[in-house]
Amino acid sequence: MSWLQSREQRELMEQIKASRSRLYRIAFAWCHDAALADDLAQEALTRGLSRLDQLRESAKFMSWLSSILNRCWIDYLRARRSDVDDEQLSELPSDLPGPDSHAERQETVNRVRNAIAALPLGQRQVVTLVDLEGFSYAEVAEVLEIPIGTVMSRLCRARGSLKELLTEQVAAKPRLRSVK
Amino acid sequence: MNDAKKFSDERLNAFVDNQLGTQECDEILTAMATDAELGQRLCELRSIKELVRHAYGRVPDTRRPANRHLSIWSSALAAGVTLVIGVSIGWWGHQTTSAQASTGEVASWSERLFATEPARILIHLDSSQPEQMDAALDLAEAYLAKAGSARVEVIANNRGLDLLRARTTPYAARIASIKSHHERVGFIACGQTIARLRGGGEDVALIPQAALTRTAIEHVAERVQQGWTYLKI
Repeated sequence: MSWLQSREQRELMEQIKASRSRLYRIAFAWCHDAALADDLAQEALTRGLSRLDQLRESAKFMSWLSSILNRCWIDYLRARRSDVDDEQLSELPSDLPGPDSHAERQETVNRVRNAIAALPLGQRQVVTLVDLEGFSYAEVAEVLEIPIGTVMSRLCRARGSLKELLTEQVAAKPRLRSVK
Repeated sequence: MNDAKKFSDERLNAFVDNQLGTQECDEILTAMATDAELGQRLCELRSIKELVRHAYGRVPDTRRPANRHLSIWSSALAAGVTLVIGVSIGWWGHQTTSAQASTGEVASWSERLFATEPARILIHLDSSQPEQMDAALDLAEAYLAKAGSARVEVIANNRGLDLLRARTTPYAARIASIKSHHERVGFIACGQTIARLRGGGEDVALIPQAALTRTAIEHVAERVQQGWTYLKI
């Protein structure tokens, strides 16, 4: 039994270590604020640790934590905008300042982050969960508590907007190139 | 008919994200061979996807500005304390013992584990609000007074670290007194929070009674795994 506990503990440590940086990256992509992203990731982990008994499939650890992160993010937004519901929250236009203040960013990174910052929250969440975390559409639907059809339509609109925004931003710059 | 018009944007996105079945993938791949416009649309979608990944390949350090006063969780957390007892056993215990025992036996295993241990209490503080600090110390003292053999740890991270910093704690004397009267109490500081503050140029000196752990979250996870009672202030 002691061996089992030791192995369980090691597995838990490894999952937690790995998930913290991943949660932080997702949160940063949503809010573009390093300190807030850190708070969100920390709070999601804290809430997750206190609810581990609710998780029945270890394979879903990351998507489960991401759904908690989403609730943390909604709680944060609600504290700022108590006059709107979840659906309205997802459609709120972005008020993010964009990452221009981060002088060390490379130009391309800046342009893409600016474009993502300009997306409505719901689209920003979907596109970052799919592209950064590689979640399936079904997992994103579960994380954000929305239908798969909504995931697909938001993703479609998000990428369409990103294409337009990046094309506008780089009108005098090299065009998007295909990537293998 | 132009194949590019036959496939919706949603379907092409699903193709780029590997969300389609084999047959649907084959249809698109076949059409791509003769339809340059379709190939161009897919290239653009792949480019967008790669650009998003690239944009967040490296994210800023999690270092917190020294003068930032976080209050976003205060409304939720000020309400009180979250109590969790051996929460990890339900999942991890079940996962690794299910091959040997029924669910009922797992439950009795976890019950036995707790029954044979003296009270072990982990109090987690991440707020610098004086009333929250006060509540953490009140709880620690209450458990120490109630159960002579209890082990109690107060772990502080984020703004809660102020409780254990020499320059910021309003409770240095109280902590010293608790520590001098109880051998089985510990005050633990989060190393990650300290590193972050130091990275921001702050001088972080802890009170002599404070011990250090690598990260608060890992410490909490370890204690919970060991069956400690976890109290989040």
